[in-house]
Amino acid sequence: MGFFDDKQEWLAEVFAQYPADRRRSALMPLLRRVQQDEGYVDFERMKEIAELVGTTATEVAGVMSFYSYYQGLPTGKYHIQVCRTLSCKLAGSDELWHTLTERLGILPGEVTEDGRFSLQAVECLGSCHTGPVIQINDEPYVERVTKARLEALLEGLEQDKPLEEVRRTLPDEEKMGKATIELEGEGGAS
Amino acid sequence: MPKVKVNDRVVEVPPGTSAMDAIFHAGYDVPLFCAERHLSPTGSCRMCLVKAGAPRKGPDGEWITDESGEVKIFWFPKLMASCTLAVSDGMVIDTLSDEVRHAQSGMVELTLANHPLDCPTCDKGGACDLQDRAYEYGLDRKFYTRPDGEPVYTRYAFTKRHVDKHHPLSEFIILDRERCIHCKRCVRYFEEIPGDQVLDFIERGVHTFIGTADEGLPSGFSGNITDICPVGALLDRVARFRGRNWEFEQTASVDPSDASGQNIWIDARSGRLERIRTRENPEVNDLWISDAARFGHEWVNEDRLTQPMVRKGGSLEPATWEEALAAMRQGLEGVDKKRVGIVLPGDATIEEGMAAAELSKVLGSDFLDFEGRTGVPASNYPAATFADLLEADYILAVGDPTEELPIAHVWIHKRLRGVKMPPRLNHGTPIADLSIREHTPPDRSLLGAFAPHTTRVMEWAEASGVFEPGHAAAFFAAFEAALAGREPTEVPGVDPVAIKRAAERWQKAEKRVFLIGAEVLGDVQAAQLAERLAKSQGAGVLVMTPAANARGLEAMGVWPTGDRKGPRAVFIAAESAPMKILEGTEFRVFHATHLSPMVARYADVVLPAKTAYEKRGTFLSAENRLLALQPAHVEAGEAEGLVQALHLFGTALGLNPAIRFVRQAQQRFAERYKIDLNRLDAYGTLWRPRVSHAPRPMPMEGNLYLRPSMWKARHRRGPTVQRALGVLELATHPETALAEGLDEGATLEVETPEGPQRVRVVFDAALPKGWFYLPAGVPAGRMPFKALVPRGGEAS
Repeated sequence: MGFFDDKQEWLAEVFAQYPADRRRSALMPLLRRVQQDEGYVDFERMKEIAELVGTTATEVAGVMSFYSYYQGLPTGKYHIQVCRTLSCKLAGSDELWHTLTERLGILPGEVTEDGRFSLQAVECLGSCHTGPVIQINDEPYVERVTKARLEALLEGLEQDKPLEEVRRTLPDEEKMGKATIELEGEGGAS
Repeated sequence: MPKVKVNDRVVEVPPGTSAMDAIFHAGYDVPLFCAERHLSPTGSCRMCLVKAGAPRKGPDGEWITDESGEVKIFWFPKLMASCTLAVSDGMVIDTLSDEVRHAQSGMVELTLANHPLDCPTCDKGGACDLQDRAYEYGLDRKFYTRPDGEPVYTRYAFTKRHVDKHHPLSEFIILDRERCIHCKRCVRYFEEIPGDQVLDFIERGVHTFIGTADEGLPSGFSGNITDICPVGALLDRVARFRGRNWEFEQTASVDPSDASGQNIWIDARSGRLERIRTRENPEVNDLWISDAARFGHEWVNEDRLTQPMVRKGGSLEPATWEEALAAMRQGLEGVDKKRVGIVLPGDATIEEGMAAAELSKVLGSDFLDFEGRTGVPASNYPAATFADLLEADYILAVGDPTEELPIAHVWIHKRLRGVKMPPRLNHGTPIADLSIREHTPPDRSLLGAFAPHTTRVMEWAEASGVFEPGHAAAFFAAFEAALAGREPTEVPGVDPVAIKRAAERWQKAEKRVFLIGAEVLGDVQAAQLAERLAKSQGAGVLVMTPAANARGLEAMGVWPTGDRKGPRAVFIAAESAPMKILEGTEFRVFHATHLSPMVARYADVVLPAKTAYEKRGTFLSAENRLLALQPAHVEAGEAEGLVQALHLFGTALGLNPAIRFVRQAQQRFAERYKIDLNRLDAYGTLWRPRVSHAPRPMPMEGNLYLRPSMWKARHRRGPTVQRALGVLELATHPETALAEGLDEGATLEVETPEGPQRVRVVFDAALPKGWFYLPAGVPAGRMPFKALVPRGGEAS
């Protein structure tokens, strides 16, 4: 059964927002709906959307892969998005990324065994003055993520404390930026 | 018209012209990678940066002037991409200043930053836009001097990006993602020209790559992306590693596989035909050719007949031309000349048609035919041109344009997207035509599509329907009734509402164009109804004949007349011939390029032939356009042209045929029709011969419907084409298949005009019941369905 089969009314509403010969415009709302409801958009859903808006799965994939918001694979309960753009990189996001992948034992596209965490590198989250920044699911940012703060964050989440509470009770950052992250090797952001 | 000043020259260009075209029109150059003729400009490569400015009018309506009283030029604050900048009156464009050149060389540097330096092994080397521009902007410029005094030509000290290097997009196309410079030409091409968005940018930023999420590229028009790719990212796999661009001998010719008259370049090297590329003709094929025209040439090089053969004691033995002539003399001795038949191939040229017609006249024979002849001559219809399609208010396609006349598919899509015929500037077609837009949805109200099977253009048609084979006449009768305001008569399989809708649109339209395919032309009644309709309604007709030069051959008088008593001796230059002729004649001379099973079985004498790629001659295409073929340099031993072979055949009959060389036929043509075939217009000369031939129906019996296909039998002999097409699909309605005991996906062998073929069963509930559909490699309507292996087959 298709995802949209029982959502005909909702579909009609969405399509009504665009001219009749421009059904392609509804591509984004449809993708968003699948992402929100299912947590990721698999190939079958892409084909379904392509059919509905009158385009090809390729174009859906093209649009989808442009936005880091859309996932092509299932994600964990906590989907950690690490900003890897310039400001955060200078502030130590490479080391943060290293620490995270080693601590969790996963790479992008994978989910930890307990189904809790998944990982993704994203482009600029727009909070350059508080880098390195991560975002978990659609929640407010976790800023100035030092090693200590990261550990506290992950521990809190592993105990299934509410994200908002964990975020508020993180230890204060010792200092801003890169100095707080231990540099690994010579190739770091020195 | 706006006046534009480019550097020191002032030119006038039509309103809406891009700054880029104004620059080229003025005779200056600007570098570019992403803009391409016949595609929408997007300004994605930023290579064509120029400095531009324009005067402004004050509140008083007068031009604002500077202190010295001159009209003041307001320069754009930044350099502009000239491909997406429309000209305005008084605009000033600067392409030569240091500022502009510096910015452009900066773009070349950026584009090259991640581009691999594998030009020596890249097929595009020597014909690569990026290579040319790198040479122009890079080499003479040293970017910095090392402390030891050595000049360094690159500032890029880092590791280059490494991504997928040999990614096959299909059997025909290979993609090198490292070489890709993200110009988006191929993405735009698929969306705008054939109308399938099967390629797109995936990911973003530095990770962007060209990819597809669908199952490979649809074959049909995919090869054109290898021509328009400005670098060596998309390459033709058939021609890959076959030669460097400067080694090929390039011949401007015309594709012989269908009646579109697609203009091609034939690239040959060391006597082998290695590659076919498109040749721009904005009135016929723009920059596009079908995949069959591009990739279907492998057969030309393989296993050619290089000398005559004579049957001696049951088997064909190699012989000299003298021996072949002697054998023909012997075989034809005492044969009634009136009963000597000639069968030409569908891609015989006008000159060859004339030679055959002359010989036939001298013989007094009434059996002169060609392969792919239709029941009713194509010449009966007032021909429309492809340009007419662009101006049509309604297009009615009865048949399958995509397969029968591939370029018509492209023109129909252009019309539905509202593309206009481009103006001609000094440099030809505009390179960045701002009137073409990306993602214009096709206007479905302009097209009606009906055929005996589902076709690709049906998805663009507001009114469409699949009628049962053999009911084309019923369709036209119903359409006529609907036009007269009556309830349409019944057409098996077609919804009367669709017919009424099409008739309504047809009536409202001022300019109408009609496309009719082999199904209509094979059915005399349907063809006559279509003719009446076209003539009474003043519609132009594009007749999609299976033969490439049907109109030309008909004009030369190649058409069977007289009684139906078969010939006794026959000269066959075609790839297939009716069984009646093969079996019913006593002496058969073949003029063939290959020793096909048919030739091997039936020939008494075989003369080695040239392919249409090796001929000098002229075609009259579906739009009544004379197009010149030039001979490519392909090694084929002692192979001779058809004119010479016919002359020899005539000599063997004791005659002295008047036409011995192509030139003589051309002279005669010039005397008769006042057209010099050696001096045709650049885009071909329209010529409307007056021809009348009586209908001559072809036998059409059986429930195996041979669906037209752009892939002809000879194309399919090429190994790449074979791999790409895979096992042919035998499409049928599920109920029909079950009645025959066939499962979906089962493979079996069926009897076809090309001999037994391995096919795979696919179900299509949209098809009429009781029929089996198979893509045909030779022109033939239908035959009885006959499976050659136990029913059911094995599941694949």
